[in-house]
Amino acid sequence: MNPPSRFSPSPAAAPISHARRRSLVREFAIAAAVLASLSTQAAPPPGQLLASQCFQCHGTNGRAVGGFESINGKSADDMYKKLLEMSTRRPEGIMDVQARAYTPIQLKLIATYLASLPAQAATSVQR
Amino acid sequence: MNFNRRDFLKGLGLASTAWMLPRQLSAQSAPPHVIVIGGGFGGATVAKYLKLWGGNINVTLIDRNAQHYACILSNLVVTGALSMSRITLDYGTLKSKRGVNVIQGEALEVDPANRRVNVLVNGQYSAYPYDKLVLAPGIEFIPPDGNYREDLTPHAWKAGPQTLLLKQMLSSMSSKQTFVMTIPKSPYRCPPGPYERACAVADVLKRRKTGCKVVVLDANPSIQAEPHNFGIAFNDTYKGMLTYIPNAGVLSVDSKTKTVTTAAGKFTGHVLNVIPNQRAGQIVTAAGLANDPTGRWSLVNPLSYASPIHPDIHILGDSQATGQPKSGHMANAQAKVCADAIIRSFRGEAPDPNPVTSSACFSPITSSKASWLTASFQYDPGTKSMKRVEASFAEASSATSDGMQQMFQWADNIFADSFK
Ligand SMILES: Cc1cc2nc3c(=O)[nH]c(=O)nc-3n(C[C@H](O)[C@H](O)[C@H](O)COP(=O)(O)OP(=O)(O)OC[C@H]3O[C@@H](n4cnc5c(N)ncnc54)[C@H](O)[C@@H]3O)c2cc1C
Ligand code: HEC
Repeated sequence: MNPPSRFSPSPAAAPISHARRRSLVREFAIAAAVLASLSTQAAPPPGQLLASQCFQCHGTNGRAVGGFESINGKSADDMYKKLLEMSTRRPEGIMDVQARAYTPIQLKLIATYLASLPAQAATSVQR
Repeated sequence: MNFNRRDFLKGLGLASTAWMLPRQLSAQSAPPHVIVIGGGFGGATVAKYLKLWGGNINVTLIDRNAQHYACILSNLVVTGALSMSRITLDYGTLKSKRGVNVIQGEALEVDPANRRVNVLVNGQYSAYPYDKLVLAPGIEFIPPDGNYREDLTPHAWKAGPQTLLLKQMLSSMSSKQTFVMTIPKSPYRCPPGPYERACAVADVLKRRKTGCKVVVLDANPSIQAEPHNFGIAFNDTYKGMLTYIPNAGVLSVDSKTKTVTTAAGKFTGHVLNVIPNQRAGQIVTAAGLANDPTGRWSLVNPLSYASPIHPDIHILGDSQATGQPKSGHMANAQAKVCADAIIRSFRGEAPDPNPVTSSACFSPITSSKASWLTASFQYDPGTKSMKRVEASFAEASSATSDGMQQMFQWADNIFADSFK
């Protein structure tokens, strides 16, 4: 337990008084946050969160940094068909097992979202 | 903190909070501030995705180290196959490309009432105010009884200097010597990791030295992950040189004599690699958030990773107690769910009700072949928990050279997806 006097407000962050003021009026925080965020935060597109679970292997926004295929900006229909096939055929590798994590509705959302991402940049070195 | 609400109001000369409402609304032009403690796989990923998806949010990432040493691939640093630079991840891109404010410092305590976290930075104590706090400090060890010392009997279960220490001890072994290692009681960081280490060590001793032995003392009743592939490795690939002993929980350790006393007897090695039992990172425990039935891990809502005790504090990665495996892949997965939920909460929305998370581990079994393990989880509204999708839970049918190649490709991608 450190005596509070040793802690000074951090210059790197927002002023301490601002945060305290906020904690004092928590009852208004939600309404205020909605007002504030309408201008600053867009609604997360459907499929974004689900598709981001592919990015550990296929790269952020589906753009692989090496090895595995990039999966951004492809045809949504083709992607959906491929994913469905991988989720039902006899598993050959880790991808087929991964595809089994999702319901067909979720696979469709993922395919649609990935298709909406810009295709591979021409300068990229990925295959 | 004894600087309370009343003192603060007095300081401002304010009589009531009603006056604050218009101020509060106008103050909202300042973007919300999220502080993340711990820049490992969970913390780096949540910071990155808050910026990538969140637009106007201030994100501050605090880690005690200037860079992160990944545990992923670290067993290959122990064997000398890879250098330390392969697992060293810096925060440069998170700063320059993603706009994350990265600070090197030690988070000491959380002050939920005032929504701030107290941090030691460059020998100075500072209080950082937050709107949301994410704790991703990884694990802490529970030291075994006896005169245990990690400098004499390294764990190498947090990568960094410990990795190099174990590497140096392994490489200085001579022929006919014994490497003894202990496996902690589940749950612990990276279920297949200890078995992978046993294989990596056995492989290098088999190739480089003659007549060396590996003794694997498991606190658990059986191999905890990939029983098929590690079973083949232990019974076949390393037959004669590797002894696997289940139900061998550690009772005490004498680090000076490199002797461990277990439920299955007393063992002495030329190298003793004790991987102690584990619990949530210290900052989580200090904040009173290690509140699962064992008192070691943190119960959270898996739709947002928010604590039910303090809904503005989120705990993810190895420290949480959702029953999902403690892996880097999973920490990254949870971080995305958490980032999405925080962004929605700033919009006044509830979290996505149907998140999916995954874990994947690639394990070298020999110097040229690796196996893999994966499991995915869907939210189950009935139990309000993440439930493993059984069809998505599998290990490789065998260790292959393709698996080895995929391991490095996966590592490149998850390193970049978390830290770049
Ligand atoms: C040998 C081995 C092999 C592994 N292999 C795999 C694998 O193949 N696949 C896989 O997915 N996972 C693997 N893992 C597991 C993986 O490393 C962990 O599960 C993962 O790192 C957990 O992420 P985290 O964010 O919870 O914690 P970490 O990644 O450990 O990050 C925690 C960070 O918090 C910082 N920190 C802690 N407390 C404080 C504080 N008070 N103030 C400031 N900073 C603080 C630490 O410095 C650290 O950087 C392996 C682990 C080991 C040991
Ligand atoms: C654990 C790592 C991992 C994850 C997570 C993962 N994949 Fe894959 N994926 C692979 C591997 C490995 C391959 C095969 C690559 C190869 O053989 O070159 C692959 C291949 C693919 C292919 C190409 C199939 C073909 O034959 O053309 C597509 C499309 C794909 N993945 C989509 C996805 C989508 C969508 C997700 C998320 C739902 C996802 N992947 C998640 C590892 C992964």
